[in-house]
Amino acid sequence: MNKEIVDDKTMKRTLTRITYEIIEKNKGNQNLVLIGIKTRGAFLAERIKMRLQQLEDIDVPQFALDVTNWRDDQQTVQAGGEQPPFSADQIAGKHVVLVDDVLYTGRTIRAALDAIMSVGRPSKISLAVLVDRGHRELPIRADYVGKNIPTSHREAIKVSMAEIDDEDKIEIIEPAAE
Amino acid sequence: MNKYLILEDGTTFQGDAIGVPSISTGELVISNNLSGLENTITDQTYNDQIIVFVRPFVDTGGMNRDDYEAIAPSCKGVIFNSVPASQFSVQDPHSLNNFLKKRHIPGITNINIQRLAQHIKTHGAMKASIMDTADEHARDQIRALVIPRDRVKTVSTKQPYPNPNVGFKIAVIDLGLKYSILRQLSIRKCDSIVLPYNATATDILDLDPDAVVFTSGPGNPQEIPETLKTCQQLEGQLPILGIGLGHLVVALANGAEIYHMAYGHHGSNLSTVEIATENIEFSNHNHNYAIEPQSMSQTNFFITHRCLADNVIEGLRHRSDPTMTVQFQPEAAPGTHDALYIFDEFIEMITSFKQGKNL
Repeated sequence: MNKEIVDDKTMKRTLTRITYEIIEKNKGNQNLVLIGIKTRGAFLAERIKMRLQQLEDIDVPQFALDVTNWRDDQQTVQAGGEQPPFSADQIAGKHVVLVDDVLYTGRTIRAALDAIMSVGRPSKISLAVLVDRGHRELPIRADYVGKNIPTSHREAIKVSMAEIDDEDKIEIIEPAAE
Repeated sequence: MNKYLILEDGTTFQGDAIGVPSISTGELVISNNLSGLENTITDQTYNDQIIVFVRPFVDTGGMNRDDYEAIAPSCKGVIFNSVPASQFSVQDPHSLNNFLKKRHIPGITNINIQRLAQHIKTHGAMKASIMDTADEHARDQIRALVIPRDRVKTVSTKQPYPNPNVGFKIAVIDLGLKYSILRQLSIRKCDSIVLPYNATATDILDLDPDAVVFTSGPGNPQEIPETLKTCQQLEGQLPILGIGLGHLVVALANGAEIYHMAYGHHGSNLSTVEIATENIEFSNHNHNYAIEPQSMSQTNFFITHRCLADNVIEGLRHRSDPTMTVQFQPEAAPGTHDALYIFDEFIEMITSFKQGKNL
């Protein structure tokens, strides 16, 4: 059963708020780099970049990161994963804001951190997520949270974005009772 | 009974009396609101002003009990194009005529509103009188009128009073409070306390609130240096929301400059754009002053909303402190509900400010 818990309007609001908070906590915004975790995190990063551009007229570098090669369930490095699209110079000494749609076990974020660190050394990395659903398996927390949605392990969170899913919404998917 | 509306430049309009049969003088403002007669007449931002309703007619239903923005409205008069006979009913205690009489507001109906509005748009805002005769004496009175300077003092509460609920404690600084602001805070479970405009920062911090709201109100914010000082002292210590006059207070306290607009924004047909998302929203506007855009560089604010019609700055947010303001009236009384989310954003701001403190 799918239950829509966030509609398109609220999702836009939430992203705007995250953008305001990013401005608030980074006086000046000079050193920012946005890195979105593929697939939906990359679109979220793009939208945040656009809002920063509108509000502060700054062009923040933005990259889409594929973390497949750094996943901890990947026993051997397999073909298919992409290399990070940024160079050491582009992130060295910068404040990287990592963007993802759902924060769950924290393993994806761990993989992204490794991917970034394997390339260069940012001065700071913070994390912005649209949904924090709990159940962390690693000591990771988000700096900017769109919405805290307490869930059970059985449920799944589905984020839809207009860029690839035709509409903006967040749903809880509950498996049918057995 | 004949009544005359006499403008500062001598232009005279003849109409019929409604409301209390007295004479009065004030600044003329044009309201484009098609609905929410109660909201508009009782809005304290219209203190000492004569409101011109450009709607073609008033509907036949009486005044309702749900939309009062203040118990004792203080506008100087109301001007209508056409009022139906039922609104003159003596039997109906809620008829417009009885409402205006009970609240000592004079009015004129059957005035050519289109011509009047056109005149104001061409010649700019001006003072006007509601008079029984159109003689030289009446014109002298307008010339003698000095626009009062202490409007906020007149409409602000003298004593603090609570609007109890169970959530965040909000100190609401009353500069001409609309009850709808309290309604919106109540809907979001905020335990508010309303304080007079001259409450000091110490008074407010003694109450240990979670946030402060500077409400909308009449007149020029430069006339209330006490409130500006309070705002300066509070900034950064507590989340602040400024609405209407409160928006100008926050901006002035931070070094921005303001100017008097040619004929102000009054009504709910003005659209604003939320800059971050390019969303277009309609909301009720009611302001004669606006922020000088060049002066924005002297402050640490960025612009969140602009008016689409004339590019006036309509919303601000501080780059590092939890402070947000809107020039329009997000409480939607009257007007569309497009901008109610401003209150939600404010609550989110309080939540994240508290989380930041606890980290």
